[in-house]
Amino acid sequence: MATQLKSRSKVTEKKADPVIFNFPEEAQLEETIERPVIMQVKNLHKNYTKDTKVLKDINFDIREGELLSIIGPSGAGKSTLLRTINRMIEPTSGEIIFGDENITKLKGKGLRKMRTDIGMIFQHYNLVDRLSVFENVLHGLLGYKNSLQGILSLYSEEEKEKALEIITELGIEDHIYKRCDELSGGQKQRVGIARALIQDPKIILCDEPIASLDPRASMVIMEYLKRISRERGITVIVNLHQVDVAKKYSDRMIGLNAGEIVFNDAPEVMDQGIVTKIYGSKADELIVE
Amino acid sequence: MDIQLDRTNDGKIKINRPTRGQKSLKWILIATAIFTVAGFFMMDYSGLVLSQAIADTLNNLYQMFLQPELSQVGFGTAMSQVVVTLSLAFLSTILGAVISLFLAFGTAVNLSKPWLSTLIKGVITIARAVPTVLWVLIFAIAAGLGSIAAVIGMMFHSVAYLVKAYSEAFEEIDEGKIEALRATGSSYWQILFQVVIPETKSYLISWTFLRFEINFGVAVAMGAAAGAGGIGYELFMSSTFYYDMNEVGMITIIILIVAIILELIANRLKIKA
Repeated sequence: MATQLKSRSKVTEKKADPVIFNFPEEAQLEETIERPVIMQVKNLHKNYTKDTKVLKDINFDIREGELLSIIGPSGAGKSTLLRTINRMIEPTSGEIIFGDENITKLKGKGLRKMRTDIGMIFQHYNLVDRLSVFENVLHGLLGYKNSLQGILSLYSEEEKEKALEIITELGIEDHIYKRCDELSGGQKQRVGIARALIQDPKIILCDEPIASLDPRASMVIMEYLKRISRERGITVIVNLHQVDVAKKYSDRMIGLNAGEIVFNDAPEVMDQGIVTKIYGSKADELIVE
Repeated sequence: MDIQLDRTNDGKIKINRPTRGQKSLKWILIATAIFTVAGFFMMDYSGLVLSQAIADTLNNLYQMFLQPELSQVGFGTAMSQVVVTLSLAFLSTILGAVISLFLAFGTAVNLSKPWLSTLIKGVITIARAVPTVLWVLIFAIAAGLGSIAAVIGMMFHSVAYLVKAYSEAFEEIDEGKIEALRATGSSYWQILFQVVIPETKSYLISWTFLRFEINFGVAVAMGAAAGAGGIGYELFMSSTFYYDMNEVGMITIIILIVAIILELIANRLKIKA
């Protein structure tokens, strides 16, 4: 699969615009229902205090290689839901089954091991500004290393080669030794994606990955996420504000309102009525198309 | 519309509403001004001829700074004594910095447990409240007056100072960056050395160097007060023992030049980091 990716990026390099890809129609329409379930979220609740219930009885399955977007108004619990999946936020009750294991019970080493299987990218990229692009990408491997290797930045040549491959694939190979604060927003987000990819994850969680980017850079990032799910078979879960973007790229959409799932289906099913249900009465203003 | 207006006692409109803190600060400043003026009137001026005193002072200053020369101490000795003082400062700063780094990890609220942070902060605040000289004298009980007590005492106060500076720098770190590494499965120590230290490196360097400058000044004083040796001891001898104004002036100028050089290095480091 890696060679396939490489050859494709080589071809596109010759074009004026190396970052926009067109997917064959059949890939777009491929049925996702057939794919095996890799994670089940069951009866998930999260209360910050007794009265502020952020997530109420969340149930859904996550399938291999799908691009799943979570939409909903601010404060609906999108970020909380995403972070409970890799236990950055502890759920109050409920189960998350990931690879035959209930990960809500994991601790210490087991928890770290589980997190290496789930990559994460962020709205504000969350890169270490003062380190190089190369170093930031290699941070994705820390979960696999012991503390001393991590402290002293001891990476093997093999790991460096792997990082280079991913960096090249994402088209930021000209900047490997630049400090991350010298990059543009779109480039930073690609470093973020590279850091997640080098983990060799089964799932990548994206928390508003395009909310701080201009429309063009946003499109590039969404195209990359789509490619990752298609070509590597990695499940990508994206929190989004933009309903139109979500409709365009997702295999499945989950609509969240006040901590409850009010929609969970293919994007084709999504219509104005459902958007209103998710966002409330002001939904008309949200649809730009 | 009804506006709630504050008026002064004679009915004039107030244009602001001072908080409790601002009010008490105002009274503290007024009290300070009164005590300062009153202090001058309460001093003992008997036996003082003002014209004579001013002339003598000017003469001393003239001898010190316009006719500086070394008499008891040779230039080579003076230089080697400056190196001794610098070494005292360097040793106490480096030892203090290493200890402070680890204590600061425990103090920064975003990297530590609340109880540990409060505990270290409490101890550190007490340690900082006690002046360096006192710490040196306290350690002199165990180590005897001399350079060992001076280094330990200065280190102690440096730790108290640097832990606060470091931990405040750590607390400024964007929580998201730590979160990002936690999400990759990184361990606590990996996060400290891959995010926290790189992100705060320039602060760490400039704070440490600032403390080195302070420690240089303290080391000069310790040479005299605690018998730690170095240029401070020579200064003490030539002023109190030989009453040699010209030499006091020369030594002061040497110390001043070293301090200026340190300041220049500090600025250069800050730009580079």
